[in-house]
Amino acid sequence: MSDELDEIQAIFFEECAEGLATAEAGLSAMAAGDVSANVIAGVFRAVHSIKGGSGAFGHTALTAFSHRFENVLDEVRAERIPATPGVTKVMLAAFDILSDHVAFAQGTAPLPDDAAALQALENVLANKGASDAATPAASPAAPQPLAAAPDEDEFGFTPVQAAVEEFDPFGFEPVGVALEDLETSAPAAWTVRFRPSREALANASEPLLVLRELEELGGTIASVDSSTLPGLRDLDPEDGYLTWALSLPGTVEESAISEAFDFVAPDSLVEIVRSVESVAAPVVAEQQPIVADSIEEVAPRSAAVVPITGSTLAPVSAAPATTPDPRPTERAVEQPAQTIRVDLTKLDLLLNLVGELVIRNSILSDRLSPKDQERVELPELARLTREIQDNVMSLRAQPIKQAFSRVPRMLRDLSAETGKQYLLETSGEATEVDKGVIEKIGDPLTHMIRNACDHGIESAEERLAKGKPAVGTIRLSAEQRGARIFVRVADDGRGIDRQRVLAKAIDKGIVSAEATLSNEEIDQLICAPGFSTAETISNISGRGVGMDVVRSNVEALGGRVEISSVPGEGTTFTMILPLTLAILDGMIVRLADQRFVLPLANVVEAVRPESGQVRRMSPTTEVIELRGNYLPVRRLTDTFGFGSKYRRDPEESLVIIVESESAGNVGLMVDTIDDRREVVIKSLDQNLHPIRGLGGATILGDGSIALILDIEALVASPTSTSKFAMKGLAA
Amino acid sequence: MSSIDSIGERKIVTFSLGNQMFGIEMSALIEIREWEEPTPLPRVPSYIKGVTNLRGTVIPVVGLAERLGWEPSAIHARSCILVVSIAGKQAGFLVDEVADIVLIKDGDIQPSPDVDISEEGVISGLVQISARTTEGVSAHESAEMVSLLDLNALSLTRQLDLAA
Repeated sequence: MSDELDEIQAIFFEECAEGLATAEAGLSAMAAGDVSANVIAGVFRAVHSIKGGSGAFGHTALTAFSHRFENVLDEVRAERIPATPGVTKVMLAAFDILSDHVAFAQGTAPLPDDAAALQALENVLANKGASDAATPAASPAAPQPLAAAPDEDEFGFTPVQAAVEEFDPFGFEPVGVALEDLETSAPAAWTVRFRPSREALANASEPLLVLRELEELGGTIASVDSSTLPGLRDLDPEDGYLTWALSLPGTVEESAISEAFDFVAPDSLVEIVRSVESVAAPVVAEQQPIVADSIEEVAPRSAAVVPITGSTLAPVSAAPATTPDPRPTERAVEQPAQTIRVDLTKLDLLLNLVGELVIRNSILSDRLSPKDQERVELPELARLTREIQDNVMSLRAQPIKQAFSRVPRMLRDLSAETGKQYLLETSGEATEVDKGVIEKIGDPLTHMIRNACDHGIESAEERLAKGKPAVGTIRLSAEQRGARIFVRVADDGRGIDRQRVLAKAIDKGIVSAEATLSNEEIDQLICAPGFSTAETISNISGRGVGMDVVRSNVEALGGRVEISSVPGEGTTFTMILPLTLAILDGMIVRLADQRFVLPLANVVEAVRPESGQVRRMSPTTEVIELRGNYLPVRRLTDTFGFGSKYRRDPEESLVIIVESESAGNVGLMVDTIDDRREVVIKSLDQNLHPIRGLGGATILGDGSIALILDIEALVASPTSTSKFAMKGLAA
Repeated sequence: MSSIDSIGERKIVTFSLGNQMFGIEMSALIEIREWEEPTPLPRVPSYIKGVTNLRGTVIPVVGLAERLGWEPSAIHARSCILVVSIAGKQAGFLVDEVADIVLIKDGDIQPSPDVDISEEGVISGLVQISARTTEGVSAHESAEMVSLLDLNALSLTRQLDLAA
């Protein structure tokens, strides 16, 4: 039971994440000047559904906050509060707190302090509420389709008919009397039309509860429109066919009525209108609508009955067509689903099977002669298989926007901390990347942006003195080139102070004092472990873990980081990432009669050692001399304990120079290189356990398994010598 | 899905390791494969023979005899791999020969006597099965002792966690 609840709750949090993303996108658009109704309505709906769900799960703090936020949004949506930049700013701040509240509900963050944000929201409400009080009185007769505002295109409304229906002879309202008053002072009575959608019923929104709530407000059911009710045989018990029309006293607050519909699915028909016509309509007209109503009611029914009694099976969908439908769009509400949620493991399984299909394909093409291949149309099959593989891969792909979406918030926070102003420019947000990559670039991205804000962008005074605009610009971009994704964070700040970086690196013993390094090499030093140039440790960056975390995270993804900097003009960090985590560009090497895969991203070069080029430094360590530098060499036969029978002389082996984050360049001794190809990564820990030194396994064209080497884990063995002292010149 | 039904019967797969008969719950069995030399893994206990490709999934292959403390199985024509699912993870067990699938009554399972075996709980019980019968249990003179294995106790992850 609790598992089930957890599952539902997990869906709620997924929806929260989506809702927050929608809200932020909407608010950002508003901040950028787009205050159109659908943008505002989008934000409102997002916050509203977070509130709804949070209430159901008892996240009271989240419910309370989102409710206050929603109040303001509701007013803005109804144009009672103009969406001024000031109001938008308050809402952006409120959004940040809302995100924190969601994180708290999820248990990933402490309870945020929302007092300031709440106060700001209340101020917005209070200020506008005062100046707004006169508005309804000024135009009492004007119909205000309040709840319909966000869905204007979906729900038209029909004031005439609705107003007339209200005069139900069985209603308890002293209508006649009220009408007298209405003409003079009291607001016109409300007419509410409500038809729960299929979705609402599926979500167990009980229409009766809504109706009762409206009755408690003084409402009476004026009529029930059953014209869309199909014949019994075609009746879908899970669909909603009835439309209730209710009348409520005009003295009831509009918001009180719309609140009754708070938890009704958005595609339900909800109309709340002032009965304009009721003022003008003579009471004599009372009887007519009922006749009209009943005729309308009878017509479609008989139409629906025909196919049942008749011998031909005419589709019932013909029935609505026979009745002139005043609101054709109402029927179109049941749109086909645009997206579905799929468990990620199902996609992975599919990807797995497709990978297997690709492999079987290549086995076939290995075994068949080109002529036979043509005869059985193998090339066509191979092409189709590839296409399926690409498509399945694309199912895992998500726009990188998801990773970018938290940046604006981060910049707002950073701005508050540093007192500097930042302008964010983004491009390429639609670039699609594997979901796994997106999940893992969040941290590196955070560090890069913090670094740019803290170290890159100068203070406003400094910038003005240099003739730059006071506001610093951070450019965030993504693009795909071949099988790689380039994610750039560029600032227009001061650039890397190379002298200072070098001095610091020497001071920290990261490079030797005699080393002569190129500009690029100096730039790379800021990614070295333990390197930080910040003179004071700030909250933002400068703990000396920032950039080396970026580098190690990106390398763990099979990517790399490039840095380019122009003094005085700015710095650009580029993360070059694989398109997918499921496929690796690898070098297939042979060792001890087994095949292994080396990630090509780590490979620098391959060397066939000459006699004397590999030397023993101690009984357990060897080095290779390469263009005057000595690099450590690992014999994988020893590392993996394959036994002495597989030991070869260096002259009969190849030394693959690989680049590692923790140990610099290291030589790995293997027997030969077999091939270079893209391999599908299979996890070992899915059925076993992670094994140190192995990043996974792959299945080769012949169906056999090759193990993928994890370079970082291999070179970081306890015997590894302190690397940077040695690396200095080798880099 | 468990093979234990309301009347207290279960299906087991019996197989031999050397001269011993063993049985596992049928419900845990995924398939039986011919022996195929797996890809050896570095840095694992010797009873893990390596990994093999099960329709695109990489699964470990375990020398079950070695795992249970017997002499390692020699590979011969009847050697095969029982692919089982243990707590959501798949593994292949190298066995000498698959014997039969039999229906046994829960009441016929004797708890394993408290003998000094290297690991507690690996053998969950003993049952007598007459050779080559699918007609359930009967204690004929040809009856054999079958040791029922508790797969969860054989979980690799658990072992490797301890070893790590």
